[in-house]
Amino acid sequence: MIGIETEYGIYVEGKGAQDLVAEATHLVKLYPGVAATGWNYKNEHPRRDMRGFTVDHLSIDPTDAQFEQTNRPHSTDVEVRSDRVLTSGARLYNDHGHPEFSTPECRTLQELIAQDRAGERVMQLCAEKRMSRMSEGGLVALYKNNTDYHGASYGTHESYLTGRGVPFEELLQSVLPFFVTRQIITGSGKIGMEQSGSGSEATGNFYQLSQRSDFFTTIASVDTLYNRPIVNTRDEPHTDPRKFRRLHVICGDANLCETSTFLKVGTTLLTLRLLEAGWRAKEMSLRDPVNAIKQISRDEKRKWIVDRLSGGTIGAVDIQRFYLAAARERFTGLSPDTDAVLTEWERVLNALESDWLSLADSLDWVAKYALLSEFREAEGLPWNDSTMRSLDLEYHNVDPEAGLYYGLEQEGRVRRIVTEEEIVAAMTTPPAASPRPVVRGIAVRKFAPSVSSVSWGEMTLNENGQSRVVRMTRVDDLDPTKLTETLSATTTPSSFFSSLEQLEREAGTDKIPVDENGGA
Amino acid sequence: MQEMKFDDRLTRPMPTSDPLRKQGDGDGPSKPDVKRPETRNILDRMKRVDPDQAKRYRQRSGQ
Repeated sequence: MIGIETEYGIYVEGKGAQDLVAEATHLVKLYPGVAATGWNYKNEHPRRDMRGFTVDHLSIDPTDAQFEQTNRPHSTDVEVRSDRVLTSGARLYNDHGHPEFSTPECRTLQELIAQDRAGERVMQLCAEKRMSRMSEGGLVALYKNNTDYHGASYGTHESYLTGRGVPFEELLQSVLPFFVTRQIITGSGKIGMEQSGSGSEATGNFYQLSQRSDFFTTIASVDTLYNRPIVNTRDEPHTDPRKFRRLHVICGDANLCETSTFLKVGTTLLTLRLLEAGWRAKEMSLRDPVNAIKQISRDEKRKWIVDRLSGGTIGAVDIQRFYLAAARERFTGLSPDTDAVLTEWERVLNALESDWLSLADSLDWVAKYALLSEFREAEGLPWNDSTMRSLDLEYHNVDPEAGLYYGLEQEGRVRRIVTEEEIVAAMTTPPAASPRPVVRGIAVRKFAPSVSSVSWGEMTLNENGQSRVVRMTRVDDLDPTKLTETLSATTTPSSFFSSLEQLEREAGTDKIPVDENGGA
Repeated sequence: MQEMKFDDRLTRPMPTSDPLRKQGDGDGPSKPDVKRPETRNILDRMKRVDPDQAKRYRQRSGQ
Protein backbone atom coordinates (compact mmCIF):
# COMPACT_ATOMS: atom_id res chain seq x y z
CA MET A 1 0.00 0.00 0.00
CA ILE A 2 1.16 3.50 -0.83
CA GLY A 3 -0.16 6.99 -0.17
CA ILE A 4 0.74 10.67 -0.32
CA GLU A 5 -0.31 13.36 2.15
CA THR A 6 0.17 17.00 1.21
CA GLU A 7 -0.06 20.03 3.45
CA TYR A 8 -1.04 22.90 1.17
CA GLY A 9 0.16 26.45 1.56
CA ILE A 10 -2.77 28.81 2.06
CA TYR A 11 -3.06 32.49 1.24
CA VAL A 12 -6.17 34.41 2.27
CA GLU A 13 -6.20 38.06 1.37
CA GLY A 14 -6.03 40.27 4.45
CA LYS A 15 -5.02 37.41 6.77
CA GLY A 16 -1.66 36.71 8.40
CA ALA A 17 0.10 33.58 9.60
CA GLN A 18 -1.61 33.93 12.99
CA ASP A 19 -4.97 33.46 11.26
CA LEU A 20 -4.12 30.38 9.24
CA VAL A 21 -5.27 27.72 11.70
CA ALA A 22 -8.75 29.26 11.66
CA GLU A 23 -8.59 29.76 7.91
CA ALA A 24 -7.54 26.18 7.21
CA THR A 25 -10.33 24.93 9.48
CA HIS A 26 -12.84 27.14 7.71
CA LEU A 27 -11.61 25.97 4.32
CA VAL A 28 -11.93 22.22 4.91
CA LYS A 29 -15.38 22.71 6.43
CA LEU A 30 -16.45 24.25 3.12
CA TYR A 31 -15.81 21.01 1.23
CA PRO A 32 -19.07 20.73 -0.70
CA GLY A 33 -19.19 16.98 -1.31
CA VAL A 34 -20.44 14.09 0.79
CA ALA A 35 -18.10 13.46 3.72
CA ALA A 36 -17.98 11.79 7.11
CA THR A 37 -16.57 13.34 10.26
CA GLY A 38 -15.37 11.85 13.55
CA TRP A 39 -11.72 11.09 12.90
CA ASN A 40 -10.44 8.92 15.75
CA TYR A 41 -7.17 10.36 17.04
CA LYS A 42 -6.87 7.61 19.64
CA ASN A 43 -5.55 5.42 16.86
CA GLU A 44 -2.67 7.78 16.03
CA HIS A 45 0.73 7.56 17.73
CA PRO A 46 3.10 10.15 16.24
CA ARG A 47 5.50 9.97 19.22
CA ARG A 48 6.13 6.23 18.86
CA ASP A 49 9.59 5.56 17.41
CA MET A 50 10.59 2.59 15.20
CA ARG A 51 13.68 2.19 17.35
CA GLY A 52 11.55 0.88 20.19
CA PHE A 53 10.69 3.88 22.37
CA THR A 54 8.13 6.66 22.66
CA VAL A 55 9.21 10.26 23.14
CA ASP A 56 7.52 12.58 25.65
CA HIS A 57 7.00 15.37 23.18
CA LEU A 58 7.79 16.42 19.63
CA SER A 59 10.03 19.41 18.80
CA ILE A 60 8.21 22.61 17.86
CA ASP A 61 9.48 25.45 15.75
CA PRO A 62 10.09 28.29 18.30
CA THR A 63 9.22 30.98 15.78
CA ASP A 64 5.97 29.23 14.97
CA ALA A 65 5.20 28.63 18.66
CA GLN A 66 4.38 32.32 19.11
CA PHE A 67 1.16 31.73 17.22
CA GLU A 68 0.04 29.21 19.85
CA GLN A 69 0.36 31.73 22.70
CA THR A 70 -2.41 34.09 21.78
CA ASN A 71 -5.44 32.26 23.20
CA ARG A 72 -6.30 31.08 19.75
CA PRO A 73 -7.62 27.55 19.27
CA HIS A 74 -4.86 24.99 19.59
CA SER A 75 -4.07 23.29 16.33
CA THR A 76 -4.36 19.82 17.84
CA ASP A 77 -7.96 20.32 18.91
CA VAL A 78 -10.27 17.84 17.15
CA GLU A 79 -12.81 20.51 16.22
CA VAL A 80 -10.09 22.77 14.86
CA ARG A 81 -8.64 19.97 12.78
CA SER A 82 -12.12 19.27 11.37
CA ASP A 83 -11.35 16.02 9.61
CA ARG A 84 -13.44 15.10 6.63
CA VAL A 85 -13.38 11.60 5.12
CA LEU A 86 -14.38 11.70 1.47
CA THR A 87 -16.21 9.16 -0.67
CA SER A 88 -12.88 8.34 -2.32
CA GLY A 89 -11.55 7.18 1.05
CA ALA A 90 -9.27 10.25 1.24
CA ARG A 91 -8.86 12.44 4.32
CA LEU A 92 -9.14 16.24 4.28
CA TYR A 93 -8.29 18.26 7.40
CA ASN A 94 -6.46 21.15 8.98
CA ASP A 95 -2.94 20.21 9.98
CA HIS A 96 -1.06 22.97 11.82
CA GLY A 97 -2.62 25.74 9.77
CA HIS A 98 -2.45 23.92 6.46
CA PRO A 99 -5.35 22.25 4.69
CA GLU A 100 -4.06 18.73 4.15
CA PHE A 101 -5.18 16.16 1.62
CA SER A 102 -4.23 12.56 2.33
CA THR A 103 -4.84 10.24 -0.58
CA PRO A 104 -6.54 6.97 0.20
CA GLU A 105 -4.32 3.91 0.32
CA CYS A 106 -3.43 2.90 -3.26
CA ARG A 107 -1.95 -0.20 -4.83
CA THR A 108 -0.90 1.12 -8.23
CA LEU A 109 1.03 4.20 -9.32
CA GLN A 110 -1.71 5.14 -11.76
CA GLU A 111 -4.28 5.22 -8.98
CA LEU A 112 -1.98 7.13 -6.65
CA ILE A 113 -1.19 9.85 -9.18
CA ALA A 114 -4.90 10.28 -9.99
CA GLN A 115 -5.74 10.55 -6.29
CA ASP A 116 -2.86 12.94 -5.56
CA ARG A 117 -3.94 15.22 -8.38
CA ALA A 118 -7.58 14.92 -7.29
CA GLY A 119 -6.38 16.50 -4.05
CA GLU A 120 -5.41 19.62 -6.01
CA ARG A 121 -8.94 19.86 -7.41
CA VAL A 122 -10.57 19.29 -4.01
CA MET A 123 -8.45 22.08 -2.55
CA GLN A 124 -9.32 24.47 -5.35
CA LEU A 125 -13.00 23.64 -4.92
CA CYS A 126 -12.74 24.64 -1.25
CA ALA A 127 -10.84 27.82 -2.16
CA GLU A 128 -13.57 28.84 -4.59
CA LYS A 129 -16.21 28.24 -1.90
CA ARG A 130 -14.21 30.42 0.48
CA MET A 131 -13.84 33.20 -2.09
CA SER A 132 -17.57 33.16 -2.80
CA ARG A 133 -18.10 34.12 0.84
CA MET A 134 -15.64 37.02 0.79
CA SER A 135 -16.23 40.56 -0.37
CA GLU A 136 -15.87 40.95 -4.11
CA GLY A 137 -12.35 40.43 -5.38
CA GLY A 138 -11.05 38.73 -2.23
CA LEU A 139 -8.39 36.17 -3.08
CA VAL A 140 -7.82 32.74 -1.62
CA ALA A 141 -4.94 30.82 -3.19
CA LEU A 142 -3.71 27.33 -2.37
CA TYR A 143 -0.19 26.23 -3.15
CA LYS A 144 1.06 22.68 -3.57
CA ASN A 145 4.55 23.48 -2.33
CA ASN A 146 6.65 23.16 0.82
CA THR A 147 7.95 26.57 1.87
CA ASP A 148 6.98 30.20 2.47
CA TYR A 149 10.53 31.42 1.61
CA HIS A 150 10.77 32.77 5.17
CA GLY A 151 11.91 29.62 7.01
CA ALA A 152 8.53 27.92 7.46
CA SER A 153 8.25 24.53 5.77
CA TYR A 154 5.30 22.15 5.53
CA GLY A 155 5.35 18.63 4.28
CA THR A 156 4.44 16.30 1.50
CA HIS A 157 4.77 12.86 3.00
CA GLU A 158 4.77 9.46 1.38
CA SER A 159 3.73 6.25 3.11
CA TYR A 160 4.98 2.82 2.10
CA LEU A 161 3.88 -0.39 3.75
CA THR A 162 7.02 -2.46 4.05
CA GLY A 163 8.07 -5.62 5.85
CA ARG A 164 9.06 -5.39 9.51
CA GLY A 165 11.71 -8.03 8.86
CA VAL A 166 14.40 -5.56 7.75
CA PRO A 167 16.24 -4.36 10.89
CA PHE A 168 15.75 -0.62 11.22
CA GLU A 169 19.46 0.27 11.32
CA GLU A 170 20.01 -1.67 8.08
CA LEU A 171 17.02 -0.01 6.47
CA LEU A 172 18.31 3.41 7.57
CA GLN A 173 21.80 2.82 6.22
CA SER A 174 20.52 1.68 2.84
CA VAL A 175 17.76 4.24 2.26
CA LEU A 176 19.82 7.28 3.29
CA PRO A 177 21.98 7.57 0.13
CA PHE A 178 18.84 7.00 -1.94
CA PHE A 179 16.84 9.71 -0.15
CA VAL A 180 19.72 12.20 -0.20
CA THR A 181 20.13 11.83 -3.97
CA ARG A 182 16.60 11.24 -5.31
CA GLN A 183 15.95 15.00 -5.26
CA ILE A 184 17.70 15.21 -8.64
CA ILE A 185 14.50 13.55 -9.89
CA THR A 186 11.89 14.55 -7.33
CA GLY A 187 12.83 18.14 -6.42
CA SER A 188 10.36 20.91 -7.17
CA GLY A 189 12.91 23.72 -7.32
CA LYS A 190 13.28 26.89 -5.27
CA ILE A 191 14.93 30.30 -5.55
CA GLY A 192 17.44 30.93 -2.76
CA MET A 193 17.93 29.11 0.54
CA GLU A 194 16.36 29.34 3.98
CA GLN A 195 17.11 28.75 7.62
CA SER A 196 14.44 26.65 9.32
CA GLY A 197 12.40 28.71 11.77
CA SER A 198 14.33 31.92 11.09
CA GLY A 199 11.38 34.02 10.00
CA SER A 200 13.82 35.70 7.62
CA GLU A 201 13.45 35.92 3.87
CA ALA A 202 15.35 33.41 1.77
CA THR A 203 18.79 34.53 0.67
CA GLY A 204 20.97 33.75 -2.33
CA ASN A 205 20.79 34.67 -5.97
CA PHE A 206 20.42 31.14 -7.29
CA TYR A 207 17.99 28.31 -7.98
CA GLN A 208 18.21 25.04 -6.09
CA LEU A 209 16.68 21.64 -6.81
CA SER A 210 14.56 21.09 -3.74
CA GLN A 211 12.00 23.08 -1.75
CA ARG A 212 12.62 20.97 1.29
CA SER A 213 16.34 20.15 1.58
CA ASP A 214 17.20 23.32 3.53
CA PHE A 215 15.08 22.05 6.41
CA PHE A 216 16.81 18.79 7.39
CA THR A 217 19.08 18.98 10.39
CA THR A 218 19.50 15.36 11.44
CA ILE A 219 19.64 11.87 9.93
CA ALA A 220 16.85 10.05 11.78
CA SER A 221 14.23 11.17 14.27
CA VAL A 222 10.55 10.89 15.13
CA ASP A 223 10.21 14.70 14.79
CA THR A 224 8.52 16.32 11.83
CA LEU A 225 7.74 19.92 12.86
CA TYR A 226 11.28 21.06 13.75
CA ASN A 227 14.74 19.52 13.78
CA ARG A 228 13.46 17.54 10.83
CA PRO A 229 15.19 14.28 9.92
CA ILE A 230 15.96 12.86 6.49
CA VAL A 231 14.44 9.58 7.70
CA ASN A 232 11.39 9.86 9.94
CA THR A 233 11.20 7.09 12.53
CA ARG A 234 7.50 7.39 13.40
CA ASP A 235 6.15 3.91 14.07
CA GLU A 236 2.49 3.96 13.14
CA PRO A 237 1.78 1.14 10.67
CA HIS A 238 -2.05 1.24 10.80
CA THR A 239 -1.95 -2.52 10.32
CA ASP A 240 -0.32 -5.57 11.90
CA PRO A 241 2.79 -4.10 13.59
CA ARG A 242 4.42 -7.51 13.91
CA LYS A 243 4.56 -7.90 10.13
CA PHE A 244 4.75 -4.36 8.78
CA ARG A 245 6.24 -0.93 9.05
CA ARG A 246 4.76 2.13 7.39
CA LEU A 247 7.81 4.03 6.21
CA HIS A 248 6.70 7.64 6.60
CA VAL A 249 8.90 9.58 4.19
CA ILE A 250 9.07 13.31 4.93
CA CYS A 251 12.06 14.35 2.82
CA GLY A 252 10.18 14.67 -0.47
CA ASP A 253 8.88 17.75 -2.27
CA ALA A 254 5.31 18.34 -3.39
CA ASN A 255 5.15 17.46 -7.06
CA LEU A 256 2.86 18.66 -9.81
CA CYS A 257 4.63 16.91 -12.71
CA GLU A 258 3.13 13.45 -12.91
CA THR A 259 6.45 11.94 -14.01
CA SER A 260 8.07 13.31 -10.83
CA THR A 261 5.42 11.64 -8.67
CA PHE A 262 5.60 8.45 -10.72
CA LEU A 263 9.36 8.20 -10.18
CA LYS A 264 9.37 9.51 -6.60
CA VAL A 265 7.06 6.74 -5.47
CA GLY A 266 8.05 4.08 -8.01
CA THR A 267 11.79 4.22 -7.32
CA THR A 268 11.24 4.33 -3.55
CA LEU A 269 8.97 1.31 -3.76
CA LEU A 270 11.60 -0.63 -5.71
CA THR A 271 14.30 0.35 -3.22
CA LEU A 272 12.19 -0.93 -0.33
CA ARG A 273 11.48 -4.17 -2.21
CA LEU A 274 15.24 -4.57 -2.66
CA LEU A 275 15.77 -4.25 1.08
CA GLU A 276 12.97 -6.73 1.82
CA ALA A 277 14.76 -9.15 -0.54
CA GLY A 278 17.95 -8.88 1.51
CA TRP A 279 19.88 -6.44 -0.71
CA ARG A 280 21.85 -3.68 1.05
CA ALA A 281 23.60 -0.49 -0.10
CA LYS A 282 26.34 -0.28 2.54
CA GLU A 283 29.00 0.77 0.00
CA MET A 284 26.97 3.86 -0.91
CA SER A 285 27.13 5.34 2.61
CA LEU A 286 27.84 9.08 2.66
CA ARG A 287 30.24 10.90 4.98
CA ASP A 288 27.70 13.58 5.95
CA PRO A 289 24.16 12.93 4.67
CA VAL A 290 22.68 16.09 6.24
CA ASN A 291 25.24 18.28 4.52
CA ALA A 292 25.02 16.27 1.30
CA ILE A 293 21.27 16.75 0.89
CA LYS A 294 21.79 20.53 0.95
CA GLN A 295 24.97 20.39 -1.14
CA ILE A 296 23.25 18.49 -3.94
CA SER A 297 20.21 20.73 -3.91
CA ARG A 298 22.28 23.93 -4.07
CA ASP A 299 24.86 22.82 -6.66
CA GLU A 300 24.45 25.29 -9.51
CA LYS A 301 26.83 23.30 -11.73
CA ARG A 302 24.39 20.35 -11.51
CA LYS A 303 27.26 17.89 -10.97
CA TRP A 304 25.94 16.79 -7.57
CA ILE A 305 29.21 15.36 -6.20
CA VAL A 306 29.28 14.27 -2.54
CA ASP A 307 31.79 12.65 -0.15
CA ARG A 308 31.61 8.92 0.51
CA LEU A 309 32.03 7.46 3.98
CA SER A 310 34.65 5.08 2.59
CA GLY A 311 36.64 7.97 1.11
CA GLY A 312 36.57 9.73 -2.23
CA THR A 313 33.56 11.25 -3.90
CA ILE A 314 30.60 10.09 -5.98
CA GLY A 315 27.91 11.75 -8.07
CA ALA A 316 24.22 11.64 -7.19
CA VAL A 317 23.43 10.17 -10.60
CA ASP A 318 25.87 7.31 -9.97
CA ILE A 319 24.30 6.59 -6.61
CA GLN A 320 20.88 6.46 -8.23
CA ARG A 321 22.28 4.20 -10.95
CA PHE A 322 23.53 1.81 -8.25
CA TYR A 323 19.97 1.40 -6.95
CA LEU A 324 18.57 1.21 -10.48
CA ALA A 325 21.00 -1.56 -11.47
CA ALA A 326 20.07 -3.66 -8.45
CA ALA A 327 16.36 -3.18 -9.10
CA ARG A 328 16.74 -3.93 -12.81
CA GLU A 329 18.62 -7.14 -12.08
CA ARG A 330 16.02 -8.44 -9.67
CA PHE A 331 12.69 -6.99 -10.76
CA THR A 332 12.65 -6.71 -14.56
CA GLY A 333 9.46 -8.31 -15.86
CA LEU A 334 7.78 -8.39 -12.47
CA SER A 335 4.88 -6.17 -13.57
CA PRO A 336 4.06 -3.47 -16.15
CA ASP A 337 4.38 -0.83 -13.41
CA THR A 338 7.81 -2.13 -12.41
CA ASP A 339 9.11 -2.18 -15.97
CA ALA A 340 7.76 1.30 -16.63
CA VAL A 341 9.52 2.64 -13.54
CA LEU A 342 12.81 0.96 -14.47
CA THR A 343 12.69 2.31 -18.02
CA GLU A 344 11.72 5.81 -16.96
CA TRP A 345 14.28 5.87 -14.13
CA GLU A 346 17.04 5.09 -16.63
CA ARG A 347 15.79 7.60 -19.20
CA VAL A 348 15.77 10.37 -16.63
CA LEU A 349 19.21 9.54 -15.21
CA ASN A 350 20.68 9.48 -18.71
CA ALA A 351 19.17 12.88 -19.47
CA LEU A 352 20.33 14.35 -16.16
CA GLU A 353 23.89 13.56 -17.21
CA SER A 354 23.69 14.54 -20.86
CA ASP A 355 21.09 17.32 -21.20
CA TRP A 356 19.10 17.96 -18.04
CA LEU A 357 17.11 20.80 -19.61
CA SER A 358 15.53 18.21 -21.88
CA LEU A 359 13.61 17.06 -18.80
CA ALA A 360 11.55 20.27 -18.69
CA ASP A 361 8.58 18.17 -19.82
CA SER A 362 9.07 15.62 -17.04
CA LEU A 363 10.46 16.96 -13.75
CA ASP A 364 9.22 19.87 -11.66
CA TRP A 365 12.59 21.41 -10.83
CA VAL A 366 13.56 21.47 -14.51
CA ALA A 367 10.15 22.61 -15.77
CA LYS A 368 10.13 25.53 -13.34
CA TYR A 369 13.77 26.36 -14.02
CA ALA A 370 13.16 26.51 -17.77
CA LEU A 371 10.05 28.64 -17.39
CA LEU A 372 11.56 31.09 -14.92
CA SER A 373 14.91 31.30 -16.73
CA GLU A 374 13.29 32.42 -19.96
CA PHE A 375 11.41 35.15 -18.11
CA ARG A 376 14.42 36.20 -16.03
CA GLU A 377 16.68 36.50 -19.05
CA ALA A 378 14.07 38.37 -21.06
CA GLU A 379 13.47 40.83 -18.23
CA GLY A 380 17.07 41.06 -17.06
CA LEU A 381 16.14 40.14 -13.50
CA PRO A 382 18.30 38.43 -10.88
CA TRP A 383 17.01 35.18 -9.41
CA ASN A 384 16.40 36.86 -6.05
CA ASP A 385 14.17 39.62 -7.44
CA SER A 386 10.79 39.69 -5.71
CA THR A 387 9.03 39.10 -9.03
CA MET A 388 11.02 35.93 -9.60
CA ARG A 389 10.17 34.58 -6.15
CA SER A 390 6.49 35.34 -6.75
CA LEU A 391 6.67 33.45 -10.05
CA ASP A 392 8.33 30.57 -8.17
CA LEU A 393 5.38 30.57 -5.77
CA GLU A 394 2.77 30.79 -8.53
CA TYR A 395 4.17 27.70 -10.25
CA HIS A 396 2.54 25.80 -7.36
CA ASN A 397 -0.85 27.57 -7.38
CA VAL A 398 -3.53 24.90 -7.90
CA ASP A 399 -5.98 27.29 -9.55
CA PRO A 400 -6.02 26.02 -13.16
CA GLU A 401 -6.59 29.60 -14.34
CA ALA A 402 -3.59 31.03 -12.46
CA GLY A 403 -1.02 28.35 -11.64
CA LEU A 404 2.08 28.31 -13.82
CA TYR A 405 2.40 24.52 -13.76
CA TYR A 406 -1.21 24.35 -14.92
CA GLY A 407 -0.30 26.80 -17.68
CA LEU A 408 2.43 24.45 -18.88
CA GLU A 409 0.04 21.54 -18.72
CA GLN A 410 -2.64 23.36 -20.70
CA GLU A 411 -0.11 24.21 -23.40
CA GLY A 412 0.89 20.54 -23.70
CA ARG A 413 4.39 21.10 -22.43
CA VAL A 414 4.47 18.40 -19.75
CA ARG A 415 4.05 14.65 -20.03
CA ARG A 416 0.91 13.18 -18.59
CA ILE A 417 0.31 9.82 -16.98
CA VAL A 418 -3.34 10.13 -15.94
CA THR A 419 -6.25 11.61 -17.84
CA GLU A 420 -8.42 14.51 -16.78
CA GLU A 421 -11.30 12.06 -16.51
CA GLU A 422 -9.33 9.86 -14.11
CA ILE A 423 -8.50 12.85 -11.92
CA VAL A 424 -12.09 14.06 -11.76
CA ALA A 425 -13.32 10.54 -11.00
CA ALA A 426 -10.74 10.21 -8.22
CA MET A 427 -12.24 13.22 -6.42
CA THR A 428 -15.22 11.08 -5.39
CA THR A 429 -14.35 7.48 -6.26
CA PRO A 430 -12.01 5.12 -4.37
CA PRO A 431 -9.04 3.57 -6.17
CA ALA A 432 -10.62 0.45 -7.65
CA ALA A 433 -7.75 -1.90 -6.81
CA SER A 434 -7.53 -0.97 -3.12
CA PRO A 435 -9.89 -2.76 -0.69
CA ARG A 436 -9.57 -0.38 2.27
CA PRO A 437 -10.65 2.82 0.52
CA VAL A 438 -13.33 0.91 -1.40
CA VAL A 439 -14.93 -0.11 1.91
CA ARG A 440 -14.36 3.29 3.57
CA GLY A 441 -15.51 5.25 0.52
CA ILE A 442 -18.70 3.26 -0.05
CA ALA A 443 -19.59 3.52 3.64
CA VAL A 444 -19.16 7.30 3.50
CA ARG A 445 -21.05 7.65 0.23
CA LYS A 446 -24.02 5.62 1.41
CA PHE A 447 -24.09 6.09 5.17
CA ALA A 448 -22.07 9.19 6.11
CA PRO A 449 -24.46 10.29 8.92
CA SER A 450 -24.03 6.85 10.52
CA VAL A 451 -20.23 7.01 10.62
CA SER A 452 -19.33 7.85 14.21
CA SER A 453 -15.61 7.16 14.15
CA VAL A 454 -13.01 6.58 11.47
CA SER A 455 -9.25 6.12 11.19
CA TRP A 456 -6.92 4.46 8.71
CA GLY A 457 -7.30 1.12 10.48
CA GLU A 458 -11.02 1.00 11.25
CA MET A 459 -14.37 2.72 11.09
CA THR A 460 -17.48 2.59 13.25
CA LEU A 461 -21.05 2.88 12.02
CA ASN A 462 -24.09 3.38 14.25
CA GLU A 463 -27.60 2.21 13.55
CA ASN A 464 -30.51 2.21 15.97
CA GLY A 465 -28.15 2.76 18.89
CA GLN A 466 -25.92 -0.15 17.92
CA SER A 467 -22.26 0.39 16.95
CA ARG A 468 -20.36 -1.94 14.66
CA VAL A 469 -16.73 -1.68 13.65
CA VAL A 470 -15.05 -2.38 10.29
CA ARG A 471 -11.53 -3.73 10.87
CA MET A 472 -9.40 -2.86 7.87
CA THR A 473 -6.90 -5.66 8.48
CA ARG A 474 -9.77 -8.05 7.70
CA VAL A 475 -10.48 -6.20 4.47
CA ASP A 476 -6.96 -6.01 3.02
CA ASP A 477 -7.07 -9.38 1.25
CA LEU A 478 -10.60 -9.18 -0.11
CA ASP A 479 -11.30 -8.80 -3.83
CA PRO A 480 -11.88 -5.04 -4.41
CA THR A 481 -14.15 -5.64 -7.40
CA LYS A 482 -16.38 -7.95 -5.43
CA LEU A 483 -16.35 -5.52 -2.52
CA THR A 484 -17.48 -2.69 -4.79
CA GLU A 485 -20.28 -4.72 -6.34
CA THR A 486 -21.54 -6.14 -3.06
CA LEU A 487 -21.29 -3.10 -0.79
CA SER A 488 -22.69 -0.70 -3.39
CA ALA A 489 -25.90 -2.74 -3.36
CA THR A 490 -26.46 -2.42 0.38
CA THR A 491 -29.16 -0.08 1.65
CA THR A 492 -28.57 0.15 5.41
CA PRO A 493 -25.55 0.02 7.73
CA SER A 494 -26.79 -3.37 8.91
CA SER A 495 -26.89 -4.81 5.41
CA PHE A 496 -23.48 -3.22 4.73
CA PHE A 497 -22.02 -5.08 7.72
CA SER A 498 -23.80 -8.32 6.91
CA SER A 499 -22.47 -8.26 3.36
CA LEU A 500 -18.96 -7.36 4.44
CA GLU A 501 -18.88 -10.04 7.13
CA GLN A 502 -20.06 -12.59 4.60
CA LEU A 503 -17.17 -11.68 2.29
CA GLU A 504 -14.75 -11.88 5.24
CA ARG A 505 -16.05 -15.33 6.19
CA GLU A 506 -15.72 -16.56 2.61
CA ALA A 507 -12.11 -15.32 2.49
CA GLY A 508 -11.32 -16.53 6.02
CA THR A 509 -10.21 -13.06 7.09
CA ASP A 510 -12.87 -12.87 9.81
CA LYS A 511 -10.55 -14.89 12.02
CA ILE A 512 -7.81 -12.23 11.98
CA PRO A 513 -7.55 -10.87 15.52
CA VAL A 514 -7.46 -7.10 15.88
CA ASP A 515 -6.66 -4.47 18.47
CA GLU A 516 -7.84 -0.90 18.86
CA ASN A 517 -5.07 0.38 16.58
CA GLY A 518 -6.34 -1.50 13.59
CA GLY A 519 -3.49 -3.95 13.91
CA ALA A 520 -3.49 -7.63 14.71
CA MET B 1 9.58 42.37 -22.71
CA GLN B 2 10.46 40.04 -25.52
CA GLU B 3 8.20 37.18 -26.36
CA MET B 4 9.32 34.00 -24.71
CA LYS B 5 10.66 31.30 -26.97
CA PHE B 6 10.80 27.85 -25.60
CA ASP B 7 13.21 25.31 -26.89
CA ASP B 8 11.40 22.88 -29.15
CA ARG B 9 12.39 20.06 -26.85
CA LEU B 10 9.59 21.23 -24.56
CA THR B 11 6.97 20.47 -27.14
CA ARG B 12 8.46 17.63 -29.10
CA PRO B 13 6.25 14.57 -29.38
CA MET B 14 7.13 11.69 -27.15
CA PRO B 15 8.49 8.59 -28.87
CA THR B 16 5.91 5.86 -29.16
CA SER B 17 8.26 3.48 -27.39
CA ASP B 18 8.02 5.55 -24.24
CA PRO B 19 6.45 3.42 -21.50
CA LEU B 20 4.40 6.34 -20.28
CA ARG B 21 2.52 6.35 -23.57
CA LYS B 22 1.61 2.69 -23.54
CA GLN B 23 -1.98 1.76 -22.99
CA GLY B 24 -1.94 0.29 -19.51
CA ASP B 25 -3.41 -3.06 -18.65
CA GLY B 26 -4.75 -1.71 -15.40
CA ASP B 27 -1.44 -1.76 -13.58
CA GLY B 28 0.91 0.56 -15.39
CA PRO B 29 0.91 4.11 -16.69
CA SER B 30 -1.73 4.87 -19.25
CA LYS B 31 -2.06 7.19 -22.20
CA PRO B 32 -1.29 10.88 -21.70
CA ASP B 33 -3.98 13.51 -21.79
CA VAL B 34 -2.31 16.43 -23.51
CA LYS B 35 -4.42 19.54 -23.77
CA ARG B 36 -3.55 21.91 -26.57
CA PRO B 37 -2.90 25.62 -26.10
CA GLU B 38 -5.69 27.82 -24.83
CA THR B 39 -6.32 31.39 -25.84
CA ARG B 40 -3.94 32.93 -23.30
CA ASN B 41 -0.40 31.72 -23.22
CA ILE B 42 1.68 31.23 -20.16
CA LEU B 43 3.56 34.47 -20.64
CA ASP B 44 0.33 36.42 -20.12
CA ARG B 45 -0.21 34.42 -16.98
CA MET B 46 3.29 35.25 -15.72
CA LYS B 47 2.79 38.95 -16.41
CA ARG B 48 -0.33 38.94 -14.26
CA VAL B 49 1.52 37.64 -11.18
CA ASP B 50 1.72 40.20 -8.39
CA PRO B 51 5.47 40.84 -7.85
CA ASP B 52 4.92 41.17 -4.10
CA GLN B 53 2.89 37.99 -3.65
CA ALA B 54 5.83 36.01 -2.24
CA LYS B 55 6.71 38.81 0.20
CA ARG B 56 3.22 38.64 1.66
CA TYR B 57 3.17 34.85 1.71
CA ARG B 58 3.81 33.71 5.29
CA GLN B 59 2.89 30.27 6.57
CA ARG B 60 2.71 28.28 9.75
CA SER B 61 5.47 25.73 10.15
CA GLY B 62 3.98 22.36 9.27
CA GLN B 63 5.24 18.83 9.30
